[in-house]
Amino acid sequence: MKYLGWDELIPGAILFSFKEELDKDASYILPEDRPYAETNSHEAYVGDWRVLKPVYNRDICIDCQFCWIYCPDVSIISRDKKMIGVDYDHCKGCGICVEVCPTNPKSLLMFEERIPNEEALAKWPEKE
Amino acid sequence: MAEKMELNEVEVWDGNMAASQAMRQAQIDVVAAYPITPSTPVVQNYGSFLANGYVDGEFVMVESEHAAMSGCVGAAAAGGRVATATSSQGFALMAEVLYQASGMRLPIVLVVVNRALAAPLNVNGDHSDMYLGRDSGWIQLDGFNPQEAYDLTLMAFKIGEDPEIRLPVMSHQDGFITSHTAENVRPLNDDEAYEFIGEYPMVNPMLDLSKPVTYGVQTEEDWHFEHKARQHHDLMTKVFGKVEEVFDAFEKKTGRKYNIVEKYMMDDADVAIIALGSTVETTIMVAEKMRKEQGIKAGVVAPRLFRPWPHEKIVEALSGVKAVACLDRSSPNGAFGALYNEVIGSVYQSDNHPVVTNYIYGLGGRDFTVEQAEEIYKELAANAEAGKPTTPLQQFVGLRGPKLSFY
Amino acid sequence: MLEIRWHSRAGQGAVTGAKGLGDVVARTGKYVQAFAFYGSAKRGAAMTAYNRIDDEVILNHQKFMHPDYVLVIDPGLTYTADITAYEKEETKYIITTHLSKEELIESQPKLKGRDVYVVDCIQISLDTIGRAIPNTPMLGALMKVSGMFELDYFQKAMESVLSKFPQKIIDANMAAIERAYNSVK
Repeated sequence: MKYLGWDELIPGAILFSFKEELDKDASYILPEDRPYAETNSHEAYVGDWRVLKPVYNRDICIDCQFCWIYCPDVSIISRDKKMIGVDYDHCKGCGICVEVCPTNPKSLLMFEERIPNEEALAKWPEKE
Repeated sequence: MAEKMELNEVEVWDGNMAASQAMRQAQIDVVAAYPITPSTPVVQNYGSFLANGYVDGEFVMVESEHAAMSGCVGAAAAGGRVATATSSQGFALMAEVLYQASGMRLPIVLVVVNRALAAPLNVNGDHSDMYLGRDSGWIQLDGFNPQEAYDLTLMAFKIGEDPEIRLPVMSHQDGFITSHTAENVRPLNDDEAYEFIGEYPMVNPMLDLSKPVTYGVQTEEDWHFEHKARQHHDLMTKVFGKVEEVFDAFEKKTGRKYNIVEKYMMDDADVAIIALGSTVETTIMVAEKMRKEQGIKAGVVAPRLFRPWPHEKIVEALSGVKAVACLDRSSPNGAFGALYNEVIGSVYQSDNHPVVTNYIYGLGGRDFTVEQAEEIYKELAANAEAGKPTTPLQQFVGLRGPKLSFY
Repeated sequence: MLEIRWHSRAGQGAVTGAKGLGDVVARTGKYVQAFAFYGSAKRGAAMTAYNRIDDEVILNHQKFMHPDYVLVIDPGLTYTADITAYEKEETKYIITTHLSKEELIESQPKLKGRDVYVVDCIQISLDTIGRAIPNTPMLGALMKVSGMFELDYFQKAMESVLSKFPQKIIDANMAAIERAYNSVK
């Protein structure tokens, strides 16, 4: 990000979410289609803050949306109330999604960052 | 639609009623308030206007002054015209949020009915709270009587809300001496007053969902300095011109002339008292008397705008005098008074170097008497004659016990 | 400049009386000031209120004054408050009492030699308004003693000052003003 001089700043230390004014309420535009401004936290990569990562198992998920609601960093990607996956650019690995997942076995589990997702899915536990 | 109130050409209002009527005429969107003496009637009157249908906006009752100003910040960021009122301890409790309001450039109007700060507890007027606000980044306007409290509160909206300015404004008046003293006030009618202030010009409102915006960002050593510098720059360069413009427009409308620095009998004055608040008027009366009875060429200088500090206008106002007394109605607690320091800072760099002395007076509502003002003018005349201080630099006046003075 | 000091108990309406007087006088084009000493006064505590009236803008904001009129609207304050404080030779006293002027001066010798008028504002307000609110009767007495306004004119002006009250209360106040005007001695 370019450091600006005092004379280039917007008074009030405010930040706009988007590069331009939208023609409608932002909630009607999908996140991937929104023209995020450079200063928006969406543009900041924090994926490497994780120690453990949540891995998502589509086969077990019942699309209850608990993880989507509880995720403190809006990192659960869901479309038309269908769970799609985890936004690894912004997920910080807190594990709340795993904690709230109600299925048996859970549809989200924490794995070490170095384990590929395919390998993680292959050793998914059985129903208890 | 809010109902209109029929007002007489001349009303007899105290300063509190004057301020609350100006607030009513501004048709504020949100008032969040926590009443405190002596400003209680401002919000009390406003609440009754609202209950009786004269106001369309919201009145939010909160649990403290900190919450009151916080509510104002939220409502202003959301995109509304916002105002509240407070005094003294309430002002002190607001202090943290005052900086939030100015830093976010939210044009909130705060009616401050000046009162002493405890301890010891005191409900009467001095300028401790006004001085507490002086580095908060707000514009501070000072009214000397109920008429001015009305006029300046109306103008506060127009000054602060201008998109070029976008700064919060305090409209000060003296507790009790102005706030509870009824005098003749000539109000504008409701339509004229609203037309003068105009519709609230929204700038980057949070509730515009097609252009979402974040208020209250965190900036560390990499950005903070630039933002503060920007705010200071706007206070130093944009406010004076805008205030003058609004004062001019107000004069055209009402015939009442305001100046950034008020000068009374200064054209040929040898000595001047510089003061704030209701004291200014008593002093004008005494200056006239000193001219008639003592042959002392006395004048009065009064900053109408305390922040931003009108350095150039103060230098100009004091360019011909030989001795100046700066009257501070606040305990300086280990320094010269704030007004004295400001004036010294201004005149030191000017071509004229009058003898400048400091008087501490009127704390906690102690009467500022004609006699005290006369005595000060006599001491100033002696200073002017001698070309140097003939008294200590800082003196307390109207105080019981042995004479208290320093340096 | 005309200066008036009211002696009252908090709750008896001295501030309202002073403001009402200011309101009436302002309608004639004069400049007025009405203020009081506050503090942590509770209902019943002795207090003072003040008026200044002038043809020119009033710049004087000091509380101190040498009053032209001292209005005492509570009978007890004649004995417990310093009602002669900062008096001048011409100061006129209008005092609420059930006593005659002579009896009053005998009971409070410091009023000897002063220009004293008596009127029973408490009784008048009880009889007319139904409550001991002696402020409007005192204004009626002040009009008579000072000759500031004719009774008719003053009553009309007070009617409009009181216009937010029900007609019954306005009528009672008018009766109180008139009785005090006619009975002050």
